[in-house]
Parts: sequence; C-alpha cells; structure tokens
Amino acid sequence: MLQVDNLSTGYGRTQVLWDLSLKVDEGEFVALVGANGAGKTTLLKAISGVLKPWPGSGNISFDGKRIDNLDSNQIVNLGLSHIPESRKLFTDMSIRENLEMGAYPRRSWRERRKTMDEVFELFPRLKERANQLSRTLSGGEQQMLAMGRGLMSRPRMVIIDEPSNGLAPLIVAEVFEILKDLRKTGITILLVEQNVRQTLQIADRAYVLENGHLALEGACSMLRESDHVRKAYLGM
Amino acid sequence: MAAVDIIITGVLLGGLFALVSVGFSLQYGVGRVLNVSHGEFIMIGAFITFWLFSSHGLNPLISIVVTAPLTIVLGWALHATLFRRLMDKAPSVDIFEGQSMLASFGLLYIVQNIARIIWGSQTYNLTFLQRTVGGSLLIPLNRLVAFGVIVVIGAILFWFLAATRLGKAIRASGQDPTTAGLMGVDIHGVLAICFGIGLGLAGIAGTLMSTVLAISTSMGLQYTVVAMIVVVLGGLGSISGAVIGGVILGIVSQLVTYFEPTMSFIAYYIIFIILLLARPKGIMGK
Repeated sequence: MLQVDNLSTGYGRTQVLWDLSLKVDEGEFVALVGANGAGKTTLLKAISGVLKPWPGSGNISFDGKRIDNLDSNQIVNLGLSHIPESRKLFTDMSIRENLEMGAYPRRSWRERRKTMDEVFELFPRLKERANQLSRTLSGGEQQMLAMGRGLMSRPRMVIIDEPSNGLAPLIVAEVFEILKDLRKTGITILLVEQNVRQTLQIADRAYVLENGHLALEGACSMLRESDHVRKAYLGM
Repeated sequence: MAAVDIIITGVLLGGLFALVSVGFSLQYGVGRVLNVSHGEFIMIGAFITFWLFSSHGLNPLISIVVTAPLTIVLGWALHATLFRRLMDKAPSVDIFEGQSMLASFGLLYIVQNIARIIWGSQTYNLTFLQRTVGGSLLIPLNRLVAFGVIVVIGAILFWFLAATRLGKAIRASGQDPTTAGLMGVDIHGVLAICFGIGLGLAGIAGTLMSTVLAISTSMGLQYTVVAMIVVVLGGLGSISGAVIGGVILGIVSQLVTYFEPTMSFIAYYIIFIILLLARPKGIMGK
C-alpha cells in the first residue's frame, strides 16, 4: 500500500535519511523503531509531504500513485493520515473543533458527525469534554484527541509518530491498548516508537533505523530474538 | 455631561479603529504579513465611496457592496501573487515577516501615488446624516450609523470564523500551519482568502470613514499606525484583543482631542509604550 524507494532527504544541507526503502502492505501493522535522532520522524514527514525528498533521490508511492511531489493536504485527501509527534493540537480550539479539523477533506467533512460518534466510542473521555479547549486536557487525553483527529478523515492508512512520548507508564499501557483496538478495525498502520519492547509485541513487522540507515527489518517475533536488538534496544 | 459625551463618541470612533485593527490582525496573526499598506486600502474604500456618492449619488452605506468585494478580491490577488511567492522563497518565518513588511511598504507608495494622480492631495468632505441624536447628549447620527454597521460586520465575521469550515481552517492555520496542512487544509489558498478578508475589512472601514471624517489620499498611514498600536496593545493575533484595544484607543483619542487636539498621536504612543512595558504580550496575550 505504501512504498518508499531509495529515499534521501534532510534539513538544509544536513542529510538525515540515506537511501532508505521500506513498504507496508494493506492491513499490515508495521513499526519503525530506533534511537532518538535516527531519522524516524523525518521519514514520516517525507511520507506525509511536510518534507520533500531530495531531488533525484527515489520516490514514495501510496496505492501505486506517486505522492512525493504532492503537498500534505493532497496526501491526506488520498486516505493517508499522519498523526504527528507531540500531538500538535489546535490549543485555542475545543475538542469538538479539533476533531472537525481532522475531517477537513470535503468527502469526510460531510460525514463528520457520524465519524465523530465513532471516535467518541473509541475515546469516551473525549465526548465528556467535547466543548472544552484542548489545552485543558491531560497528556494522555491530548494523545487520544490527536489520534481521534487523525481518524476523522476516515483514512485507509495512518502513520503515528511516538504516541507514548512524555506519558506516564500507566497511560502508555493505555495507548498501546488503543493501538491494538485500532488494528482490529483493519486499518493499515505505520507506527514510530521508542518504546521498542512493547512495540515489538503488537506489530507484525518492524524496521530498525540507525543514523538514517536501515539496520534491520523483519517479523517482530524474529527481531525480538535478534542479538543486536536485544543488546541495543531491549537492554538484555 | 462632557464625560459621557467623550466616552460615547470615543466608543463610536473606537469601533472604526477596531474594524481597521481586526483586518490588520487577521493578516498578521494568520498569514504573518505585516501589512504596512493596510491603511491605503482604507483610503481606496473611502475614495470609491466618495466618488460613487458625488458623481452617481449613491448612498455611502450601499457602496459597501462595491468596496468590500473589490478590496477582498484585491487582497486575495495580492497574496496569491506577491506574498505567496515571498513565503515560498523565504528560508524562515521571521525572514518572511521582514520581507512582507518591505514589500507592503512598496505597495503603500504605489497605491498612494496612483490615488494622488487621480484625486490630488486636497481633503474632501462627504455630507451624510449630519445631525445629532440623543437629546442633550449630542451624538452624531453618522457615527452612530457607522457603529451599527461595524457591529453587524463584526457579528458576521465572528460567526464565519467560529462556525464555518473555512473559518475554522483560518483559525487552525493561524495556530499551526503545518498541522493544518496535515488535516487537509490548502494553506496557500486559505491564507490568500484570509488576507482578502483582512483587506476587505479595510475597504469597509474606508467607506464608513468617509461618512464621518474628512478624507485625503494621505489619510491611510495614520490608520496603519493605529492598527499597529491596537494590535500590539490587544495581543498579536488576538481578534478579541484587537476589538478591546480599538475601543480603548478610541476613547483615549476623544479624551485627548477634547483637551488638546494636536496631542492625540503623542498620547497614543505614550499609552503604547506604557502598556508595552506593563503587559508586553497585550491585553489578551497568553
């Protein structure tokens, strides 16, 4: 469904990603793990059109259609939703309005009430506070709102950046439960996480990113047994 | 009753200041364009109204249906051609702000000089509803009517920003343009519309201004300065702050004019500096 071929990109003259390739099939739950600064967020930004690949450095396609030359608003219209790092909520807007913004593409705007009811079912706490400003929510609730907002465009695939970042352990467990629920809906997921142990428990496959290069890839069951992963990421 | 008089006329004038400032605030707060030429489009609105009135006998209030769409389209086109290009080429938002200010300085001189070629540099007066109401309060009717129009325009604008899809997109883009893009908002399109609305408010303010004050082709800059003071006073990018700031400045202006008319601009700046020192983020700033 999503295919990245030989991608190189970065900020200004600083190269962050080096000749990177990966793919996610329809219905798969794929994880991208790695240390801070490995280039995980940069890769997601390149996929969602926030950052352009360097000229002549390969391409990104979604459903067989090239998307690396599109702007981010066009990419979400195709059904690929990016739930960004550190929530990025519209803090001067209510929870309801944040969700409405998630449904901005015309096709999903018409169905926004129905979709919002579905999102409220997934996150009942958001419904109770629908008219509060989003900045009054706790960290965990803000993450739920960010995820709910990312689902409002009724995407066929979501890419989720560090949903457990900055949350207390109990809330992190809750976030992982939500990710499990999400996969049951059949949506395709690409998840970026630093929480390697828990991520390898719930995803089908994973890519390990180190210093902008792909170090390893494979089924999560296999990566959990890999010496390199055990030493570098699981502290064993 | 002098005190009540001053406050009432001050609030009425403050409404005009608020209208001018909300437009300026939309352009800066959402699109980061520091539009120094804002006041020139007030002048354009005022002169078109004056021309329609004096040569075609059109009621000045009705000419809003000409000046508002004209300035909205002008603003949209200016953003889609000039400011959008500057934004795409600028390496950072800070640099874009500086460049947008310089470019709009250029616009200020172009618009003002074209207007001077057409209308010269003398002042004009449009006679409209020149009587007072409110018995002993002596409230000028034209100012009261202008204020009523501002309240209606303000209510429409508030509804648009609070309740419509495009209005919400404008607010979201003001808070975080990158994330708004991820939601599906075409940032360039929304910013151009927002700039157009800002300039449209200047055009409407110009129409109303021509019904209550003398107009001249050099009238624009003073209102740009008023808008800058009000917007900093109310908090950068805050629309409610711009409304409150506008009304405060209107009252101050009337108060100072009552005692010493030549001092009003000096008083603006004194208040501006005091407020900047006391509350650097403005009245509604966070």
